Amino acid sequence: MDFRLDDDQQLIVETVRKFSDRDIRGWAAEADRAGAPPERLAHIAGELGFLIDAVPADAGGMLEGSYSHVTRALRGYELGRGCAAIAALLECNVEPALAVAAWGDAKTKQALFASLSSGGFATLYHDSRGALAVDGDRITGKLIAPALAVASYVLVAADGKLILVPTDGMRRDAITPSGWRAARWATATLEGQRGTVLEGGSVEQVLAWARTSLAARAVGVAVAAMEHAASYSKERVQFGQPIGQFEALIRLRDDALTTAAAARMLALHAAWLIDTNDRTAYDTASRARVIAGDCVARATIDAVQIFGGYGFVNDYPVEKLMRDARAFEAVLGDERLGRVLAQKETR
Amino acid sequence: MDLFHDNPMFQGIRQMMNAFAKQAIRPIAAKHDQEESMPWDLMKQAQAFGMTQTAVIDGRKKLTGVDEDPDPKKPKSQARLSVAASEEMAWGCAGIALALGGSGLACAPVARMGTDEQKEEFRRLLKGVDEKGHIKVAAMALSEPATGSDISGLKTSATRDGDHWIIRGSKQWITNGQSASVYVVWAQTEAAAGRSGVRGFIVARGTPGLVPGKKETKLGIRASETAQVHFEDVRVHKDMMLGVAQAGGQPGGLADTKKMLDSTRPVVGIQAVGIARAAFEYLLERVQGGTVQGTPLASHQHIMFELADMQMEITAARMLAHRAAWMADHHLDNVAEASMAKALGARVAQAVTTRAMVLLGEEALEPSHPVEKWYRDAKIYDIFEGTGQIQRRIIAKHLTGQNPT
Ligand SMILES: Cc1cc2nc3c(=O)[nH]c(=O)nc-3n(C[C@H](O)[C@H](O)[C@H](O)COP(=O)(O)OP(=O)(O)OC[C@H]3O[C@@H](n4cnc5c(N)ncnc54)[C@H](O)[C@@H]3O)c2cc1C
Repeated sequence: MDFRLDDDQQLIVETVRKFSDRDIRGWAAEADRAGAPPERLAHIAGELGFLIDAVPADAGGMLEGSYSHVTRALRGYELGRGCAAIAALLECNVEPALAVAAWGDAKTKQALFASLSSGGFATLYHDSRGALAVDGDRITGKLIAPALAVASYVLVAADGKLILVPTDGMRRDAITPSGWRAARWATATLEGQRGTVLEGGSVEQVLAWARTSLAARAVGVAVAAMEHAASYSKERVQFGQPIGQFEALIRLRDDALTTAAAARMLALHAAWLIDTNDRTAYDTASRARVIAGDCVARATIDAVQIFGGYGFVNDYPVEKLMRDARAFEAVLGDERLGRVLAQKETR
Repeated sequence: MDLFHDNPMFQGIRQMMNAFAKQAIRPIAAKHDQEESMPWDLMKQAQAFGMTQTAVIDGRKKLTGVDEDPDPKKPKSQARLSVAASEEMAWGCAGIALALGGSGLACAPVARMGTDEQKEEFRRLLKGVDEKGHIKVAAMALSEPATGSDISGLKTSATRDGDHWIIRGSKQWITNGQSASVYVVWAQTEAAAGRSGVRGFIVARGTPGLVPGKKETKLGIRASETAQVHFEDVRVHKDMMLGVAQAGGQPGGLADTKKMLDSTRPVVGIQAVGIARAAFEYLLERVQGGTVQGTPLASHQHIMFELADMQMEITAARMLAHRAAWMADHHLDNVAEASMAKALGARVAQAVTTRAMVLLGEEALEPSHPVEKWYRDAKIYDIFEGTGQIQRRIIAKHLTGQNPT
């Protein structure tokens, strides 16, 4: 067992961390207010290799060889530290691209990769409650997803199938939820909309990718919340001492960082299992998402607490994080419910 | 203990307030949350049928006789009535509830410490409408940019100049801070005296040097206005200082106000309970209709036991708030119970709204979802009127006589 990053990973982590600290954090508040990312995001992201990192090089993308989910989790964590909404946009192409690369036919690959390589977006929707009606390659029902407002394709995971659906002609309504406000959300109402079924595609596998990435980003948000809280509680003095020195607040920060460390490790472990084609990755990714969801929920609420009245107003960064935390648990559905139902069936 | 027998008076007020919350508050809650606007029309209507901005002063006189009841041992009902009513209002919308009742924060010290002349002046300043045609509201300005939990560090100063005091300083997060027609501002009259030198002053809007500042954009309770207020050498007549024994009022400054919090904390706690109950009821209704993978949601322990937990916690927090109020009404020392009620209410409201959102799943992502709003509203109950940590500090001190750090 070796926990060290290789040189490539080290470089990526450092680059993304810089990008996140310098740029994304600076954009976060304005993007949140505006309900949209800054225009230059796509340009800078493109230069850094986001959005087409999972598209094969020979199809106009950046991917040579196999995709590294470990690297993606490392990067997702850093992006989450910057802004959850921007992180969601920068990560949304990966699942559709990898799924189509694995199970798509030539025509589907050509169409999706061409779209992504020319700056397009795609996104994933998981029908966690079995609410969609799927009839062959036709889907009826309602979708909600980040990036759906700007996506050319949505990969729908429903009824045990993966179906790539073009958004052309789809009835979409752009929405701005309270969490990940800049993530270009939309709802879509499908009435027998046709897509392309990815034959042999594994929903579980795609969800393992998505859950791992989501978990890594959630931990990034939790850690960012506590970074803000730590620096604030060094400055803020009440009762003659920096509030950070009160044991109650040390506990809040320390508990958050303990859970975050565990959740981060579990997400990285899930990623490593995915990279090594180990089927236990599915379960580990799901568990990582459970603990990361708990972690980001608690940490962001506690960060607001540490900021006191300033935490409640939007001149300070933490109230946004508390709103953002909710989206981590809402997309892809209630993870614990999924786990309970799955274990009930297999008994 | 009539707490467990819901006497007709409490039942009546509860029903009335619930009807008001359902019919008048709920329908406009999302709008005022989104627009971050005060519900001025509703405030006017509420005033017309008795929920006046000076209710705390008038109510004390009529209902509790704090001012004139010769027998201080006689049980009162004010605290319990407030608790019963406040749960329903916050169930409707905590932000609107605060908009409707926010003036009470300023009325309370006037009711407790003010002379008859000061009360009269305070009432006069709240009569009629302001320049925008809105009903007049009051603000209580204690917190400062650098002083929240530890009020002994107040920087705002009051310096004597003949028959006047000159007030200088800035106040932070003041409810009704921009719109108030009258302020009760707390200032240090004797730098060396610490807490005991702090006094409240009644200051009218428009007094030269009183400058309302920036309005905050907030996470929750967005129908209530929160703003900075600056006092740039504001001259206030000495008769407008609260807590002057010689002038016939009750002695005491901030220390006395802190005692008052023992009867308002259960109210704050129950408001949080009202939010939790709102989220709980919403979830229950959804669960009864919904399915997951073809099975009714209500058939799942995963979901129903969470609802059972929520109901347990809500009920326990409500009981505690009623008990703390009952103690206040019966003149029993309820310092610890009041803090427990406030802290538990806040904790339950945060936990219930958070879990309700998880269980609702992606539905809760939709803009203006009520449960998402309640999640945002709930957080303030662990911050204002003494943070969760400050409540625990009070409880801990009550246990050992010591302030742990
Ligand atoms: C929406 C809103 C409305 C408000 N309305 C009013 C109003 O009308 N009038 C008014 O005067 N004020 C008002 N306030 C201010 C409010 O009362 C303060 O925000 C609150 O008292 C906390 O103070 P603070 O924000 O300075 O936090 P701080 O006191 O700086 O606390 C920061 C953190 O340190 C913790 N902490 C502090 N001391 C200790 C300790 N000894 N041990 C352990 N932890 C500690 C706190 O619990 C908190 O987590 C309002 C605030 C808000 C957000």
